[in-house]
Amino acid sequence: MKIRTAKYIIRDGIVNIYKNKLMSLASISTVTASLLLFGVFLLIAVNLDYNTRALEQLPQMQVYCDYELDDFQVKQVEEAIKGNGRIAEYTMVTKKEAFEKLKELFEDDPSTLEGYDESFLPVSFIIKLVDATESNEVKAELESINGVDSVECPQKTVDIISRFGYWVKIVSGFLIALLVVISVFIISNTIKLTVFARRKEISIMKYIGATDWFIRWPFVVEGVIIGLVGALIAFALTSYGYGALEVKFNEELARSSLGFIKLIKASQINFAIVVLYAFLGGTVGAIGSVISMRKYLKV
Amino acid sequence: MVEFRNVTKRYDNGTLALQNVNIKIDKGEFVFIIGPSGSGKSTLIKLILKEEDPTEGEVYVNGYEVSALDRYEIPYLRRSLGVVFQDFRLLPNKTVYENVAFAMQITEALPKEIRRQVPMALALVGLSKKANVYPSQLSGGEQQRVALARALVNNPSLLVADEPTGNLDPETSMEIMRLLCEINHRGTTVIVATHEKTIVDAFKKRVIAIDKGIVVRDQQKGLYKDEDKNCQIYN
Ligand SMILES: Nc1ncnc2c1ncn2[C@@H]1O[C@H](COP(=O)(O)OP(=O)(O)OP(=O)(O)O)[C@@H](O)[C@H]1O
Ligand SMILES: [Mg+2]
Repeated sequence: MKIRTAKYIIRDGIVNIYKNKLMSLASISTVTASLLLFGVFLLIAVNLDYNTRALEQLPQMQVYCDYELDDFQVKQVEEAIKGNGRIAEYTMVTKKEAFEKLKELFEDDPSTLEGYDESFLPVSFIIKLVDATESNEVKAELESINGVDSVECPQKTVDIISRFGYWVKIVSGFLIALLVVISVFIISNTIKLTVFARRKEISIMKYIGATDWFIRWPFVVEGVIIGLVGALIAFALTSYGYGALEVKFNEELARSSLGFIKLIKASQINFAIVVLYAFLGGTVGAIGSVISMRKYLKV
Repeated sequence: MVEFRNVTKRYDNGTLALQNVNIKIDKGEFVFIIGPSGSGKSTLIKLILKEEDPTEGEVYVNGYEVSALDRYEIPYLRRSLGVVFQDFRLLPNKTVYENVAFAMQITEALPKEIRRQVPMALALVGLSKKANVYPSQLSGGEQQRVALARALVNNPSLLVADEPTGNLDPETSMEIMRLLCEINHRGTTVIVATHEKTIVDAFKKRVIAIDKGIVVRDQQKGLYKDEDKNCQIYN
């Protein structure tokens, strides 16, 4: 295709959108709404994935001793753990190590830890089980040891989250497919209206020897622009909304006991979202217009 | 230039529009296709433009075997000839100039060429002054002249017209026909389907008469009605 032809085609496509303001607006809104819905699911899925991956580093089980235990009593607890046949391996986390970890966690805000030292933290043991399904029994056994304050199973939460994430992904996949189909349908209907209004023109073009693609391209341009504008609006809303949500949520989470959960930063995924939206919007627009043209090109 | 070999056209609903038509039109000829309403004139034109395909036989136009052309080749066939219709078929939201220029744009002609050819075509049909006017602001005769300019702007060797004067008053009709004659004098082959007696009689060109889909007469310098008393079909 020559540049002058491309110019003609793009100008014609834009003029079409302008001439059918109302329908174009309706189509753009549809694309925006579909992409927004898609975006919500996408963000849930991405965040679940992000957090499960971080949480998978967490120990299967962690045994916290009473924090006033002396070295000898700790040794006794360690002996009890060593003697448990269901435990594959264990690592001791000393008070000092625990405090180092805590310092790392509050790196941004060291003042929080002012006036504290390692002595207020308990010694703990990170446990790896021979068989993960026996965690309930092992937990009960460990809790009965003298000097053990509590036993936590962080992995259990991870399991729940990752199972939830699995379903979210399936539902999102299904939703994406559905939304794409709906958007294609609505865009193709909009363009069908323009095509219908211009069917006489199209047949005249065919009579004087215009190729199918010469006639089709302006409509494809129309569809792609509708899709892209819809995508851009959806992106603006998504990134603004999620950005605000992420900041607020992460603040709240950091303050609560759920500090290990974190929402992915908006700036980290904005680019991926805009590319994905533009791709989906543009493709949907192009497909929609090609579909809507089929009938009217047979002259 | 144009040749029909044993062409029969039967529409899907069973109507037999043309039966075993054999015609040969040479370069530079001016031919009237005549016949009463429903005789098959438009069908013949449609076969030339490959708007329809023959049921049997072959159609040759400008060196293309039209009946065997693939779908994607049709635009190139149509660019090699100019077409004019009874209802003008101008693009309503383009000016006179743009309408004529459009026929060149679709061939991806150079802008320089377009700027040179379009005014020439408009001058030929006497519409230079109306270049920036929209079709709706023109009389029927003027619209048909725009259509003629559009048909000619790519310098086709063949011009096909289906009832080009069907919507025009007698005087304007004569004007359009005189233009067609002039175009023919410049070397373009012209085929005109019509059922207007006065026109056919005034120009005395080759006449191909069709009745009920059958070619009943093919005569040089013919009149609308054949003077041969043995062949009084239209009485
Ligand atoms: N698309 C079609 N489907 C079915 N039958 C058709 C179709 N087009 C034309 N016909 C029939 O074919 C026959 C020839 O029609 P055609 O249009 O060629 O006649 P014509 O000579 O151009 O008539 P007129 O002078 O009224 O324009 C007519 O009987 C018509 O009803
Ligand atoms: Mg007709």
